[in-house]
Amino acid sequence: MLSFLKTSCAAIAFATLAATSALAQATTTTYPAGYSDIVAAAKKEGKVIVYSPTDSGPANALIKAFETKYPGVKVDYNDLSNTAIYNRVVSEFAARQVGGDVVWSVGLDLQVRLVEDGLAERYASPEASHVPGFAKYKDSAYLTSIEPGVILYNKRLVPAALVPKNLTELTKLLKDHKDVFQGKVASWDPEKSGQGYVAMKDDMRHNPGFWPLMSAFGEAGGKIYSNSGQMREKVVSGEEIIAFYVNGAYAAEWVKANPTLGIIYSDDRTSAVSRAALIARNAPHPNAAKLLIDFMLSAEGQKVMGQAGLPSVRSDVDGVPNFKSLNELANGKLQPIALDATLLDNLDKTKRADFFSRWKQAMRR
Amino acid sequence: MRADGEALVFRRTTIGLLGVLVLSPVGLIIYQSFLDGPFFFPTTGFSLSAFGYVFSDPDFYRALWTTAVFAVGLVAIAVPLGAALAFLLTRTDIKGRSWIEPVVLVPMFLSALVLGFGYTVSVGPSGFVSLAVQDVLGFVPWNIYGLPSLIIIGGLSHVPYVYLYVSSAMRNLPADLEEAARTMGASLPRIAMEVTLPLVLPALVYSAALNFLLAFESFGLPLVLADPSGVLVLTTYLYKLTTLLGVPSYHLMAAVAVLLLIVTLPLVAIQRRLLDRSRRYATVGGKGGRPTRVKLGTAGQIVALAAIGLWLVVSVLLPISGIAVRAFVDSWGQGVDLLEHLTLANFQQLFKISSLSRGLVNTALIAVFGGAIAVAIYLVVALAGHRNASFAAVALDYMVLLPRALPGLVIGLAFFWLFLFVPFLSPLRATLVSLLIAYVVVGLSYGLRMIQSTLLQVSPELEESARTSGASLRRSWTEIVIPIVRPGLFGAWAMIMIIFLREYATGVYLMTSGTEVIGSLIVSLLASGDLATIAALSLISVTFTALGLAVAFRFGAYGK
Repeated sequence: MLSFLKTSCAAIAFATLAATSALAQATTTTYPAGYSDIVAAAKKEGKVIVYSPTDSGPANALIKAFETKYPGVKVDYNDLSNTAIYNRVVSEFAARQVGGDVVWSVGLDLQVRLVEDGLAERYASPEASHVPGFAKYKDSAYLTSIEPGVILYNKRLVPAALVPKNLTELTKLLKDHKDVFQGKVASWDPEKSGQGYVAMKDDMRHNPGFWPLMSAFGEAGGKIYSNSGQMREKVVSGEEIIAFYVNGAYAAEWVKANPTLGIIYSDDRTSAVSRAALIARNAPHPNAAKLLIDFMLSAEGQKVMGQAGLPSVRSDVDGVPNFKSLNELANGKLQPIALDATLLDNLDKTKRADFFSRWKQAMRR
Repeated sequence: MRADGEALVFRRTTIGLLGVLVLSPVGLIIYQSFLDGPFFFPTTGFSLSAFGYVFSDPDFYRALWTTAVFAVGLVAIAVPLGAALAFLLTRTDIKGRSWIEPVVLVPMFLSALVLGFGYTVSVGPSGFVSLAVQDVLGFVPWNIYGLPSLIIIGGLSHVPYVYLYVSSAMRNLPADLEEAARTMGASLPRIAMEVTLPLVLPALVYSAALNFLLAFESFGLPLVLADPSGVLVLTTYLYKLTTLLGVPSYHLMAAVAVLLLIVTLPLVAIQRRLLDRSRRYATVGGKGGRPTRVKLGTAGQIVALAAIGLWLVVSVLLPISGIAVRAFVDSWGQGVDLLEHLTLANFQQLFKISSLSRGLVNTALIAVFGGAIAVAIYLVVALAGHRNASFAAVALDYMVLLPRALPGLVIGLAFFWLFLFVPFLSPLRATLVSLLIAYVVVGLSYGLRMIQSTLLQVSPELEESARTSGASLRRSWTEIVIPIVRPGLFGAWAMIMIIFLREYATGVYLMTSGTEVIGSLIVSLLASGDLATIAALSLISVTFTALGLAVAFRFGAYGK
């Protein structure tokens, strides 16, 4: 309940901020006077090492733009899964061989945990003032995107009359139209996917229809996957015809490339995950890491990522999907997950076990 | 006398060094399993809680049961088919033997992960073969997800392992018994069942035990074919434990790995004893002269060739065509005209993204040069154990098989830690050397077995006569044994290349920016779900493997 209030407050605060800064247009941040020293030091360091599970599209766009803006600072990008990233960071820190500078992950709970365990460097980014309150944590971790959880469906195979407007309708459809949906619905496997777990846990907290949905999903013989890409593949091929909680940032790109697919922003509540960036404690290239964090949060960096498919967490970045435009698509009901200590709850063993046993029961597994 | 002393030092050092290489990762895993957290956390203490958790988790028992059913089923399919195949190819006058012999080994060299994907695209619920069948029949008469299909596909793809061992035992059998039976008017199946097979029983039992073991370690196929419908086996259960508690739970993974070790180690022991015995059998049967082959007759030829053809279609053509199709399209499935979606973008992607193009180069490097280094290491180890019946040789045999009994994922994680925490190793971590070392350990049992059997083909008289004429042991090895087995070494090199190409689990934790390899990239792309790129990578990996196989057959690596 408390966390619900928190998120809603965050959303309201964000909406207000969005309104005011829309007037101001993309503000260019004035960087502190000593910033050129950081730039010089970063060039001396020569590179910045990133651990991230982000898809190659947006990641490459970001890297290219950053390397163009700061010639002489190379980005060394390591494509790792959320849990592999956490494993790396804690093991390398314990072995005093820190290899990563910037940790940029969708495993929001693990990121907060890193901050809490003192494995993140404190850095108050000069860009932080443009980032909404829910998107920063203890001057250490910052959300860099808004990625709504959407319903993805195959337009050829879901009859137009049976396209749901929201998750509540989906629940009803799964029950009433077994002939169409039985064995052809997909969603996350929260036991295998950290991102899926964060999204589902958030919906469980704020959406009273969560457990009925899971129950209907289980009854419909729903299939579970550990990432959005697999769900896309199944829905494209028609092996599944509809999937929910799919990462909408990726889905929006897929719809552009593949007219068979359609997406729906649930009009009663659409939650959104994000990816958080932080600087690893004892990072070998701390100045280059600061430059990269600032660039990711800057209007320029946000625009570059937005064009490559990661909607902006800021509201003053025009021409790309951002909170405001997504919120309109979601009927004003977009509720991003806040980067705060509530997420640590997700890692509590007992609460996890309870969630999984209830989920399994609903899924009839 | 002096020469013996030298060799003793060499033998002990080699086996000792190998012991360090193999036992340090295995020891680390066993140590980790008795802790209550990651071994590198200051708050971690000794505890049996990991085993307690696993033993009280219903999923563990479900996974154990499923694994047992899967293993039994796989053996029940692979052993009879493999034996029949071996009989047809070694004891009968089947047509086209020269091209069938190499082709039947192909399923053995395809990465299970690649196989699994291939099947989804060709015969999955929306696969192009399934859709074609649906057009004709109105429904798809199969479902590739779940335990039954996992058993069938697993069984069919493991046929070559049985074939390999049984056929080499059959080649050594004299033909007179079969001829006698034939003259008495026995039918072909009866000859096979009552004369030939009983003679190769040890090889049959051995390959059954081997396949049982392989089923316990199998990861790629269950991940793709059983996981989506919620069917767990021990290896996928272990994989799930990496994320189940939110933060990676190494002690739980280690505990499951140790349990796997406990289950598989007795199997390894049985295998070892059987192998000794089957070797003995083979020598007894070894008589000169080419065996006359049993005649199949026209009907027999047609039935035999059709059966082999059908098996090859299912276990090679279906998965590979699936991968090939997926690699060249951007969309597929119901209502999609594949021709409209043809694209080369998936391959262009590989060259645009530096980690992927590096992965291609690294994989080639590891396979070709790493393979050669591995063969050199295995040769030294094999010589250390060659014509040596001491305790060290027995220790060697078990040590070699230890890493086989652990999943590659876990061995890779152990090596990641070793390279991170052992001070003089850490500079090597971000280089291909770290991967190569892990690969050498994982490929040890295959590679060493191959080289050992090549060495055994050199008849002892040659070495003995060299020794009698005053040559040192080293000289008898470098000037007699190694030159004689050189073609065999090239064959082994080609096989190791293929095994290194196929490997995927070991590098998952170990690889880092700059040391990417195809197999592990596929696993990490799987995590982000980029299936188009996976298909393109897989197709390239299959092509590499085909090249490796061509080299292997050129040097006559099979059947030795």
